[in-house]
Amino acid sequence: MNQAVSTSISQPTPAQRAALARRRTLWRAIEGYLYLAPTLIGLAVFVFWPIVESFKLSLNRIAPFGNQQIFVGLGNYTRLLTSSDYWNSVRVTLLFVLGTVPTGIILSVLLAILLAYPLGKMASVHRTLIFVPVVISSAVAGVLFRWLYHPVVGYINYWLVSLGLFDSMGDAPNWLASTQWALFAVIVATTWRQLGFNVIIALAGVQNIDSSFYDAAKVDGANAWQRIRHVTLPLLSPTLFFLFIINVIYSFQAFGEIHILTAGGPGQATTTMVYSIFYDAFVGTPQRGIASAQAYMLALMVVFMSFVQFAGINRRVHYQ
Amino acid sequence: MAAKTVLPKRKPALTSGDLLVHFLLLTIGLVISMPIFVAMLTSFKIPTQVITFPPTLVPREWTTVNYIMAWQATPFGRYLLNSVVQSGLITLGQVIFSILAAYAFSVLQFPGRNALFYTVLGSLMVPFELVFIPNFQFISALGFSDTYAGLTLPFIASAFGVFMLRQFFLGVPVELHDAARIDGSGNWRYLWQILVPLSKGSIGAFAIFAFLNAWNQYLWPLIITKSVEMRTLQIGIRFFMTSQDRGADWGPVMAGSMIAMGPALVAFLLAQKQLVKGIALTGLKG
Repeated sequence: MNQAVSTSISQPTPAQRAALARRRTLWRAIEGYLYLAPTLIGLAVFVFWPIVESFKLSLNRIAPFGNQQIFVGLGNYTRLLTSSDYWNSVRVTLLFVLGTVPTGIILSVLLAILLAYPLGKMASVHRTLIFVPVVISSAVAGVLFRWLYHPVVGYINYWLVSLGLFDSMGDAPNWLASTQWALFAVIVATTWRQLGFNVIIALAGVQNIDSSFYDAAKVDGANAWQRIRHVTLPLLSPTLFFLFIINVIYSFQAFGEIHILTAGGPGQATTTMVYSIFYDAFVGTPQRGIASAQAYMLALMVVFMSFVQFAGINRRVHYQ
Repeated sequence: MAAKTVLPKRKPALTSGDLLVHFLLLTIGLVISMPIFVAMLTSFKIPTQVITFPPTLVPREWTTVNYIMAWQATPFGRYLLNSVVQSGLITLGQVIFSILAAYAFSVLQFPGRNALFYTVLGSLMVPFELVFIPNFQFISALGFSDTYAGLTLPFIASAFGVFMLRQFFLGVPVELHDAARIDGSGNWRYLWQILVPLSKGSIGAFAIFAFLNAWNQYLWPLIITKSVEMRTLQIGIRFFMTSQDRGADWGPVMAGSMIAMGPALVAFLLAQKQLVKGIALTGLKG
């Protein structure tokens, strides 16, 4: 009797076994999808669906009177390509990227090399002072620099005069109100806020380099500069590449500092592509069609950079 | 006398090169953190000193009057509450949902798992500028603009969190799961009673990231809030500055800035190691 029961449990018919396995697979799949559901729904609704929606928006334009959507096909795109405002925003964006990215990378690598030096107990003090902008928001950075740049009460002009770069406060530029200097001023503020992040990445890269390379270089009689030039920098190339790509992506998307410091002005001296999208979509009469077309053009550049990054990581840039 | 017999621990002598590096780093470090220091010092100056020329660094007389003025001029208390609720909800959602998804992607086996994982990763490439206009229209259509739901819903899922926690879960030995299964605990119990407590460090690090990012958000709260009462600190400080700009009343503005960056600064000082490690490992700010 016992024998019969146990065999009937441990040895179901092949059909039963298949049904059981099917049910188990089905349950496993359902269980997996249940765990994923919140994330997948969130991303589908707020990332993937808007990609399509944004494209649809970019093919339409709002009629001047009323809320009628008019299908214009690629009309918004051709309008952009022939608009001097659009090309100005592209130019400003490229200048902004050129101003922020190389400076940020060079500064962060220099600082990382210094921070990788054996610093003893002072290491944490140095790091804290240099890393700290990493937690500052773009809004706070904007407000702080708006004050620092202030032509009357700001510290920056006062310090520049104290250092003898200008004769008096009146000679120093009114940074944010000057067509000539506004973009530069915004670049400085943004580079400052990005610096903490960049140094952290660069330092991790420098510390990843095996010390045996330095020992070998020392045995060969390389001095400090030669060790940096021929050991650190080549072995740091994957980090440099990563920093380059991620900084270009961030710079293309910078918004907070620009909105607070200059609001795209004076004139359109600091109107980057992102600022222009924001302005067209949300300031005054919303023109979400043309704004979405601009967003698509910007996204193409950003996604292209992301692809370059993935491709580069797969191919590996370094020789180690 | 007895002390003489105990040899002091020998410290390696500082060479002139060491001193030069320390000097350089300290100078650069002070220049970099200077905007924060001067803002902090200015927030404690009496109003007349804020606008005296030439400016002086240290408050002649320490006062909290700027904080009181800022607090009274705009509903800073309300901004603070909004920021805490907004960042708290986003962090909570991202942490819980990322734990669930990371578990599915690291431990569970089911058809389509890899394809879905790459889809989630792919979302990291989508720039926010591409989605924020439709999101704004969608949230408005739902009637959620100017509400906490509107501030938080678009960020309730985090591909970054899924990626980060999955990496960690993959490092936990499979034997642990097998043992738990033999003991009769299902996936749900294994996740919450064994895996999550084991991963406290990583989850904590991700939570700090999520919180800082939410706290520092600017573009989305700027467009989705309409009333003064719903503004977050970052938006509030900007409007407060604009209203003060002509009068050059920078003392209260700096006090407001200190309130807006305070929690982030505290988190940085307390959890600097984890934060730096997280950034260095993932190469992302969150």
